Amino acid sequence: MSVLQIHAQPSRATVWTLSWFLFAAGLASYFWVSRGRHVENPDDRVMPTVGQMVQGFTDATLKPAEDDEAVADEGSQSLWGKIRHSMLWKDTIATGRRFIISMALLFPAVLLGLHMGMFPYIGSFFLRFVLFFDKIVALSLLPILFIAFGIDEAAKIALILIGVAPTIILDAFNLTRGVPKEQIVKGFTLGAGDFAVAYRIVLKQIWPRVLNSIRLNLKAVMIFLFSGEMIASQDGLAYRIALLRRHMGMDTIIPYVLWVALLLFLIDLGMRVLNRKCHPWFQEA
Amino acid sequence: MNSLASQQMVVDHPLSPEKSPIICIRNVCVEYGQPGKASKKVLNGVTLDIVPGEFISIVGQTGCGKSTLLRLVLGEERPTSGQVRVEGSPRAQPDRRCGYVPQKYSLFPDRTVLENITFGLEVTEIGFFGGFSAAKRVRRERFRSEALGYLRRMGLRESDAAKYPHQLSGGMQQRVAIAQALIMRPKILLMDEAFSALDPGTRAGMQRLIKDLWRETGTTILFVTHNPREAVTLGTRLIALARTGLEDDGANILLDLAIPPSADDRDISSLVRRVEESTFPAGTDLDEPAAPEV
Repeated sequence: MSVLQIHAQPSRATVWTLSWFLFAAGLASYFWVSRGRHVENPDDRVMPTVGQMVQGFTDATLKPAEDDEAVADEGSQSLWGKIRHSMLWKDTIATGRRFIISMALLFPAVLLGLHMGMFPYIGSFFLRFVLFFDKIVALSLLPILFIAFGIDEAAKIALILIGVAPTIILDAFNLTRGVPKEQIVKGFTLGAGDFAVAYRIVLKQIWPRVLNSIRLNLKAVMIFLFSGEMIASQDGLAYRIALLRRHMGMDTIIPYVLWVALLLFLIDLGMRVLNRKCHPWFQEA
Repeated sequence: MNSLASQQMVVDHPLSPEKSPIICIRNVCVEYGQPGKASKKVLNGVTLDIVPGEFISIVGQTGCGKSTLLRLVLGEERPTSGQVRVEGSPRAQPDRRCGYVPQKYSLFPDRTVLENITFGLEVTEIGFFGGFSAAKRVRRERFRSEALGYLRRMGLRESDAAKYPHQLSGGMQQRVAIAQALIMRPKILLMDEAFSALDPGTRAGMQRLIKDLWRETGTTILFVTHNPREAVTLGTRLIALARTGLEDDGANILLDLAIPPSADDRDISSLVRRVEESTFPAGTDLDEPAAPEV
């Protein structure tokens, strides 16, 4: 059977093997090249070995951060205590805080999109502006943001909002406009007012799709967040990666990159599961 | 279409002198497009009075303005000229005086059958923010039992109450949609090709059901269909819309006929033939459904 048959039905084992093949091939290639480089030059820092990366990750996870003054006796601490004072934990918390604030601030963007789609006057007022704003390359505003807001949290969060909010607003707007007119008319004939129709009929129906849209924009959120952190920050995962780059600390950079990918994967998975549990009608319909 | 051009409107329907009209449509024109540019006239000078308790079937070819006429009564659309009044007041936007059962998207997909039926009661009696006080719990219990009563009346099982619309067949969905509209006790029920997507057997069952419900509740019903047999068998009065002039002139009422309650099969067949001959040009596919025993 040809692999390029549309009606092909690969077995479960084949599907499983195929889906993991590229992971295995990538890892094998990396370690093969890494080993070769280390045979040639034992001090190679570009492609650390597994042992070096494990050591780097352990140091980042279990050793106290350089700026942590609260650690008195490193040896007497529990595992949790060590993790809590580690570089990775502190960076994750710093980035996570910015991420959560940004995500929370995207909620008003959803409401704005809903109102733009529901109420013609609000739509007329905002639509052209948001369409224009959406075309501005957020990263090009970074210097202006740093001048306007300083290098504190506000600039980084503003960058994320400028980068992602217009997309979310327009998505919510389009989803709102996509709700069949019959549903809205039906709402009115059942005694609902304008806001009851907007919130209890339309918002409820578009909400799972909005969550999907936010989920698909997670990477964009992280790109803007990392840009801000790399350029002007005192902590955070991207700040650490940028800092370690100066010292060619690939043994820590690679685990950090994998850690960020894992976090994003888990957030994505969590949002998918939440969406499925909270909106069974959406998944099945 | 040209064969209809010279036809005159036929009115064979004496308005009940003792009842004042619940719906007044006066010389209504509807035209789409921007002024000055090429526009399309859909309705041209439609005048119609409907008294409470009538079951009006509106029939006509696709695109002759049946649904537009319904949307005018609903308040979803405004006429370019002329007036549409319901209970004496002009229509501004849809409200609970008119129940509505469209052909598609008739239920909220995010709500179960029970939640769909009780939605109207929830928003009107509980309010926007909901709430969980003891009084509201009692009220919700009343809504639930009332909704289950409607569900049974529609021929559905109580076990269907927890299902989502996508888990129901087309016929079941329309039954729920009718229950959802009727629980609000609307004065007028507007049905826009509500049974068109159903198979002939289900459609016949739904026709029987709606006729029985009309007899029980006495609600004024406007039932839009493109099927003359369905229109004749269901309604107490038949309105046939058709373009009476050139293509761009818009449609008007071509037939306004009272359908006697005692009409037998022969009368019905003759009425159907009359509607077909006057409204539909030869060769039109009329999508004949199974004849209901109503």
